[in-house]
Amino acid sequence: MHIEIDEISKQFGVTAALHPVSLAIPSGALVALLGPSGSGKTTLLRILGGLEFPTAGRVLFAGQDATGLTVQERRAGFVFQSYALFRHMTVFENIAYGLNARPRATRPPKAEIARRVTKLLELIQLPDIGARYPSQLSGGQRQRVALARALAIEPRMLLLDEPFGALDAKVRKELRQGLRDIHDTTGLTTVFVTHDQEEAMELADMVVVMSMGRIEQIGKPADIRARPATDFVRTFISA
Amino acid sequence: MGRPPLIHRSPMPGLGISMGITLTMLSLVVLLPIGALLLKGATFGLGNIWDVVNSERTWAALFLSFRLSLFAALFNLVFGVMLAWVLVRYRFPGRRLLDAAVDLPFALPTAVAGIALTALYAPNGAFGQLAAEIGWRIAYTQYGIFLALVFVGLPFVTRTVQPVIEEIEREVEEASATLGASRAYTIRRVILPMLTPAALTGFALSLARAVGEYGSVIFIAGNIPLVTEIAPLLIVIQLEEFDYDAAAAIGIAMLVISFAMLLAINLIQVWSRRRIGYV
Amino acid sequence: MSDATTPIRFRSATEERPLTRWLLVGLGAVGMSVLVFAPLIAVFAEALRDGWFAAVASLGNRDAQSAIKLTLLIAAIAVPLNAAFGIAAAWFITKFDFRGKAFLITLIDLPFSVSPVVAGLCIVLMFGTNSLVGGWLVANGYPIVFALPGIVLATMFVTFPFVARELIPVMIEQGRAEEEAALTLGASGWRTFWTVTLPNIRWALLYGVLLCNARAMGEFGAVAVVSGKIRGQTATMPITIEMLYNEYLSVAAFSMAAVLTVLALVTLLLKTALELRHADQLAATHRH
Repeated sequence: MHIEIDEISKQFGVTAALHPVSLAIPSGALVALLGPSGSGKTTLLRILGGLEFPTAGRVLFAGQDATGLTVQERRAGFVFQSYALFRHMTVFENIAYGLNARPRATRPPKAEIARRVTKLLELIQLPDIGARYPSQLSGGQRQRVALARALAIEPRMLLLDEPFGALDAKVRKELRQGLRDIHDTTGLTTVFVTHDQEEAMELADMVVVMSMGRIEQIGKPADIRARPATDFVRTFISA
Repeated sequence: MGRPPLIHRSPMPGLGISMGITLTMLSLVVLLPIGALLLKGATFGLGNIWDVVNSERTWAALFLSFRLSLFAALFNLVFGVMLAWVLVRYRFPGRRLLDAAVDLPFALPTAVAGIALTALYAPNGAFGQLAAEIGWRIAYTQYGIFLALVFVGLPFVTRTVQPVIEEIEREVEEASATLGASRAYTIRRVILPMLTPAALTGFALSLARAVGEYGSVIFIAGNIPLVTEIAPLLIVIQLEEFDYDAAAAIGIAMLVISFAMLLAINLIQVWSRRRIGYV
Repeated sequence: MSDATTPIRFRSATEERPLTRWLLVGLGAVGMSVLVFAPLIAVFAEALRDGWFAAVASLGNRDAQSAIKLTLLIAAIAVPLNAAFGIAAAWFITKFDFRGKAFLITLIDLPFSVSPVVAGLCIVLMFGTNSLVGGWLVANGYPIVFALPGIVLATMFVTFPFVARELIPVMIEQGRAEEEAALTLGASGWRTFWTVTLPNIRWALLYGVLLCNARAMGEFGAVAVVSGKIRGQTATMPITIEMLYNEYLSVAAFSMAAVLTVLALVTLLLKTALELRHADQLAATHRH
């Protein structure tokens, strides 16, 4: 799905988290929002997901104004930095949650929910962990379960906040490929936030470099590397 | 292999004195007196204990104490969780005052609470008059006992649940919303289950406190045998008549109830730790 | 499409509707008013029914004075003893590893789940004239029950866990490293305790002592059983309140109740102040 961010700004009290920013994300792209902490990248992601509301500006999904949609109506698959798994539920119940939460009229039958959860567990290559609780999983497994839970609602897009932030270097590398694969199989428009320029450059089709609430540069990884638009981008990507 | 040593070697000083004080005082103040009660029960005999407990008046008192304590603890469970939520999540004028006031039932002597509640809810009291107009008597009935038991158990649930609400990560609630769940569904399926172990612990503490409560109840109860006579009062009455055997019998029955509840609290905590890895 | 300035009402994903919020706040406030604030006001209103003079005068008579003195005396004995126990128990439990630790903690907490009346009963059965120990003590001129020692013992029983259960979590959290450092620097055991441990636990200790004291001065059920209610001798303030109330001396009863209520309010005030100013040095459950 094609996403458009039109002159979005966000004030927290007197401080501006986002100066008016505009960005067009083509359907099916894998986009990285790259920047240091406080650059506004997470705020922008949360505005897309409906968890934060812009002070001014519009968000368009597939050409339709989505600014006023509630978080429930957006159907954005959101993966949190801490994964935010429900620890009193098994992995199976976690993944089925979004389907069970639907009103009776649109809720799939039990067998159908089970079938979909099984398929998602296969997709994340953890077919046998459905009965476990989140506390019994490794960090990398939790991340993949969070991803499966977000995919279960058949989202219109995938939004990930520092999806690899809580993992050690080795697991991080493995899961990067995992995210790439899932993106390629599902074809979902995917936006992820990261402060790690190597991660952004390696994984994304399109990188958006942000600093102090502004977009510094938008481009393909190779272009940004070859032709940094500002001093900030030059120092940040060479770090 | 073998079992670990009883006490591990430690470079810390003061093992002898701290262990000595702890075990001596624990024995003198708590264990020996409780042992005296159990010994009295043992010499009195299980059959005789049963005969005392099995009288109509004792059954009525035990049943009354337990039933009203259960109702009061249930009220406190619902009200306490709600109050904890309000105090942690909402900002409104007077919040600090309300928060501090939650502990008043812990700090206020029970006899003071007893006469104050009676003054308010007696037929000529401020609230009692209002109730009387709709033909409702509160003081000197079981409603009065219920009210006093709610008062003494009020802080338990709120104080056990409050820290748990504080620790709920916002992201978990947000995750639920992004998955399409309504706020009501999130509260029912995500938040309340997370609060359940703490709420149950508070409920059990509130229940245990209410079953044994004496001071705040006797003023408002009316103390009519078979109707508004609580179990602890029966012990006091037996003691005033120097019937130590009967008093001990009822005391043991109440002790058994207390231990059962203590066990229940511990089981709740073990269960929740095993199942979800936290209390 | 409409222009970008069209106002849209946003609702946070993690908040209830304003109506729900105000409804819940209202319910909480009404419940607390009926259950807690109203009785609080009632105590003072009843005490001052015949004016300040009558209230103060009722506290001046001899029996009232002796009750106040007795209650202060009991607290002055029971609270320091329980504080000493609490420190010793917390030290033993947190500085050493031994089998049965969880069981010991359960035993220390036991008084909280025993009815005060049953606690009093236990002491009567152990030290009463018909018991072995009590009979011998009375024969030698040391009565326990219906006398000061019994009341102190009953008070200690019901307030037994207060200090220990404040200190144990705090001392677990603080660990043993600082004491170990002091010991390696050559400090003696006592010196380590006074200069390293005690400063770290003083606010938690004060917190526990505060709660212990409030309960000690206000205890009714356990004391009612062991005191014998002898006016001017074994009648504590709460016991005197009961006697006055049952004699329909309402103003006198509520005046004494008002004194204890002020004590309770001061306790709450100090407790809240401790929670605000020294939260980092209290058990985690008290940090709001």
